[in-house]
Amino acid sequence: MQNTEILLIKEKSKKRFCIKRLVGKGKPYIFIGPLSLLLFTFYVIPIFLSIYFSFTDYNIIKKPEFIGVSNYSDLLLDKTFKASLRNTFLFTLGVVPAQTIFSLVMASWLVSRGKSRLTEFVKGAMFIPVISSMVLVSIVWRILLNGEGSPLNLILNVLNITQPNWLGDSSIVLFVLMGITVWKNTGYFMILYIAGLMEIPKNYTEAAKVDGAGRWNVFYYITLPLLKPTTIMVVFLGMVWSLQTFDLIYTLTGGGPGNSSMTLVLHIYNNAFKNLNAGYAMTVANILLLFSSIAAIVQKSFLKKEKSEVY
Amino acid sequence: MKKILALILSVILLTAVTSTETMAFWGKKEKKEKLVVWLPPIGENDKVVWEPIMKEYEEANNVEVELEIIPWENYSEKYAAGIASGQGPDIGYMYAEMFPQFIEMGAVEDLTPYLTKEDYDKYIYIKHGEMMGGMYGLGIEAANPAVIYYNKDILASIGEDVPVTWEDFIRCSVKATQDIDKDGKKDQWGFSQGWGAPYFGDLNWNWYGFLWQAGGDIFNDDLKTVKFNDKAGVKTAEFLKDLKFKYDVLPPYYMAQTNKEMLQTTFGPGKSLFSIYLSSAAGEILDKSFPDLNYGIILSLEEEGKGTFASVDQLVLMSGAKDKQLAFGLIEHMLSTESMTKFHKHHPRAPIAKGEPYQGDPRLQKMIETEEGVYRPLVVGPHGVEIYEYLWKQLQMMMAGEKTAKESLDEAAEYSNRLLAK
Repeated sequence: MQNTEILLIKEKSKKRFCIKRLVGKGKPYIFIGPLSLLLFTFYVIPIFLSIYFSFTDYNIIKKPEFIGVSNYSDLLLDKTFKASLRNTFLFTLGVVPAQTIFSLVMASWLVSRGKSRLTEFVKGAMFIPVISSMVLVSIVWRILLNGEGSPLNLILNVLNITQPNWLGDSSIVLFVLMGITVWKNTGYFMILYIAGLMEIPKNYTEAAKVDGAGRWNVFYYITLPLLKPTTIMVVFLGMVWSLQTFDLIYTLTGGGPGNSSMTLVLHIYNNAFKNLNAGYAMTVANILLLFSSIAAIVQKSFLKKEKSEVY
Repeated sequence: MKKILALILSVILLTAVTSTETMAFWGKKEKKEKLVVWLPPIGENDKVVWEPIMKEYEEANNVEVELEIIPWENYSEKYAAGIASGQGPDIGYMYAEMFPQFIEMGAVEDLTPYLTKEDYDKYIYIKHGEMMGGMYGLGIEAANPAVIYYNKDILASIGEDVPVTWEDFIRCSVKATQDIDKDGKKDQWGFSQGWGAPYFGDLNWNWYGFLWQAGGDIFNDDLKTVKFNDKAGVKTAEFLKDLKFKYDVLPPYYMAQTNKEMLQTTFGPGKSLFSIYLSSAAGEILDKSFPDLNYGIILSLEEEGKGTFASVDQLVLMSGAKDKQLAFGLIEHMLSTESMTKFHKHHPRAPIAKGEPYQGDPRLQKMIETEEGVYRPLVVGPHGVEIYEYLWKQLQMMMAGEKTAKESLDEAAEYSNRLLAK
């Protein structure tokens, strides 16, 4: 009798142990479950839906009608798509290096100056555009740039400099938009660089200085390599933001004059909500997704490599 | 056991709190039916003007009316998003370019079964609601044509009369384009016309009127192809392009500003002889902001004929409306002689319904009443938004000097015909 009881107790504790082990193993999944569900619902499913709708004639309200690869073949005839693709790449190529270099220079200068009224003011002033609404920013820039009576043109007039047609000249409008974007984003990336610079142990730079390294050498051989992970993040974040640029251009130029400032996201928006051609809009969106994915994969591989090199 | 009990109790409590009956119990007010109305801003403080009119209908029909003023900037997009998400209005306001898409997707109700014989006699612009095989709207905003404004003082200073033909217009514009302060730079312009609008709305004054004056049109009669790249279209485009590149009578920032901005920054301050925009801008912009400006109005120039754009925007009954009869009743109430008389007292416009007194701009009354055939709305053709948007971009390229008139129009026509053939 006693033996049987002992056996039963042993069996019970074994079972409990098994459940505990199972619960223990499943615990991480319980924690990540809700977030995974959200990610799956709002990120993964829309991607598959977008791929599905790109093979249909779909106008948001009516039932989608399967049309094969017709939307993709239409891309080849779509001159606006070609212009938007070209502009998006030009925009990215212009904005990313400029904002990266500018934010790095500003961050290095601020860190080297230490804490003072001036640096605090500069930091604040640089960060104001980041927290300002893009629509508001666009309206302000439109007032600043538009027409003979605009403040910027009045200054140029006083200096007797020919006033460019900032938003109306198709050869310069994209560069103007790049400039505004760099001005808007630099503050954010500057903060990232400041954080990166603060993380660099001082003894590295001090040791280099003891060895006779000048300011430039310290920056080039010590600071810059140690900032690689931050730079990779700044570059790829900037790249994805540039590929997705929309609100500034939508408010300021609408992609014009002509298609000179048309971007992929604006073209997607116009097709989906103005032309009510959501199937085609998703086709263009898939092309954008492809580019963004390539950027993300490259970034990930760079980060992996950097981690093993730096740390 | 305790845990299971707690779980069951929680579920019961949650169900009890969120059940519809309970919700109804807590908010046990008498549930009124609600009608949602979306309108664009027709004038200033529209909501304040509409509120007493809506209140009359609310009290008479025990219904709640929710009015939302949607800004013009992304007007049609808001409709698309609203309808797609089931959050659209019961009563909407649409302009010609919007109709084809929304009719094709079945979002707008055909009003034919709701209309009586008296209605056809009552509403002045009712024939403009007939489109695509049905009656899809009742005019609410009409007879506000695009007009050419001219500065009387500048015209007198160059010794010219009010222009009648394109030739007169060019001659006056060239004479008026001058360096007044003699600093070596031109500071007075012939025609302050803006080509910088981000979207196609400025075609209304920059293109349609001139095209009609040249004898052209947008669509062929069967609405299956476009005709704006024919001889008349090319003549119109060349006339517009020449104003910049041959006669140089447009201000240098013509590609950056809209026509409304041009009116405010250039014509209003007396820096140009001509400008072109809606006739309502006379009272709403020029008289208010530039009271000393001595200006006159030309309804249309004459080339092969006369013509200018005047929209007939409509109130529409949305297919998603739960109680369509009730919603249509509100449309009729809003457009009634009494309601429109009240509305136009605040926003002066020509009458919409018979029996309404003329409360519009007195300077325009004679023009509107005697030259009815001159101003007209667009023909509602398929793929309107896409076609007009593409055409606008092409004309912008032409005005920027990147393309010839023929190249721009041919490309827009090729795109349009491809769409129409689908």
